[in-house]
Amino acid sequence: MKEETMDAEKRLADWLGDSGESTQAAGDPLLTELDALLAGSPAEAAVERALAKLRAKLGEANPVLYYGELAASPVGPISVALSEAGLVAVEFGEAGPEFLEHLQRSHRAQAVRSPERSGPVLRQLAEYFAGQRQSFNVPVDLSRSTDFQQQVLRAASRVPRGGLATYAEIARHIGKPRASRAVGQALARNPVPIVIPCHRVVAADGSLTGYSGRGGIRTKAQLLVLEGVSSYNAALT
Amino acid sequence: MAAPTRPEFTELVARFGRELYVFLWRMLSNEQDAEDCLQEAFLRAYRAYPRMHGEVNFRAWLYRIAGNTARTQLKRRLRRDGREIELPDEEGAAPHRSGPADDGLEQRERLAAVRMAVRELPFKQQQSLILRKYQGLSYAEIGAALDCSPESARANVYQALRRLRSELAVARQE
Repeated sequence: MKEETMDAEKRLADWLGDSGESTQAAGDPLLTELDALLAGSPAEAAVERALAKLRAKLGEANPVLYYGELAASPVGPISVALSEAGLVAVEFGEAGPEFLEHLQRSHRAQAVRSPERSGPVLRQLAEYFAGQRQSFNVPVDLSRSTDFQQQVLRAASRVPRGGLATYAEIARHIGKPRASRAVGQALARNPVPIVIPCHRVVAADGSLTGYSGRGGIRTKAQLLVLEGVSSYNAALT
Repeated sequence: MAAPTRPEFTELVARFGRELYVFLWRMLSNEQDAEDCLQEAFLRAYRAYPRMHGEVNFRAWLYRIAGNTARTQLKRRLRRDGREIELPDEEGAAPHRSGPADDGLEQRERLAAVRMAVRELPFKQQQSLILRKYQGLSYAEIGAALDCSPESARANVYQALRRLRSELAVARQE
């Protein structure tokens, strides 16, 4: 009797694959029925269809963003991300996993490293920091910003290197002279700082009231000094 | 020591999409439900992915999500259709369908009873059995998927079989 029990246990362990390769259910009705019910596989066409639909669904849920990094700049490492339509993010100080997490959280995107796609904007950023570039020539994708934010950001992008504008001037420029405060808020949400130079927009009295990029006002002053607006040197000391 | 690099999410789909579909098909015995649950499970996984750090067994993690999705789907189906239990789609499975027509009917009834008994197992036991025997996960992976030790995963498999044996023995006598 004891031997029989041990035999049954061994058969079970063999069937489960606990002693190596999983085996057939030899003579045990329950195991035979379980195999009949569960060991089969779906039709290959059904698997392919399900996987194709899954990929399509995930494609909708997470557009691909291409990213790359500038390892060093006067304001620390810079990461950029681009959609098919253009530049969607410029971040200071965030690199590697931190930036990827940011992209997945804020864009629900699947991030793919692409030196090829990120190359042009990274090169232009390096030239900008070396003082060799006045303005950026890259498509920007502002589709995640509101119409008002887009108007403000476009207006800000016309302020030339070395120049300054006030929130009120931008507000007037877009035909909403009373919206200075909202202009400030729109600039604070600039997804592509430096490339859209929101750092060149200051308060009416010239003070630096805020900056969207990492490092805040200090970074803003740093960028302005780099561009030759020496009156902000004091803000750096 | 460098942090372990995380695979791109698309790589998880490429690596585990197929076996998870097969798993869901086995759990739900229905192509459409398996397809829907596969999408739902991967979307849930995608949303949670940014929060996954350190040493993660992504296979086990995906099985956990897929198993929970299937459980929800089965409950939904039970509310909708009552206790109707269908057999697997004709084209797959059931290699044991031979013999006279009456035998075939009896066999189908019998399998329906087994399926019902499997579905009524405590969730951990049911999952442990299917993951071990039919999806080929190790007890360590099952433990990771079900939040228990490998020993307890193994115990769950054996308990599942003991329970099925006794449930179905009673059914056989009735």
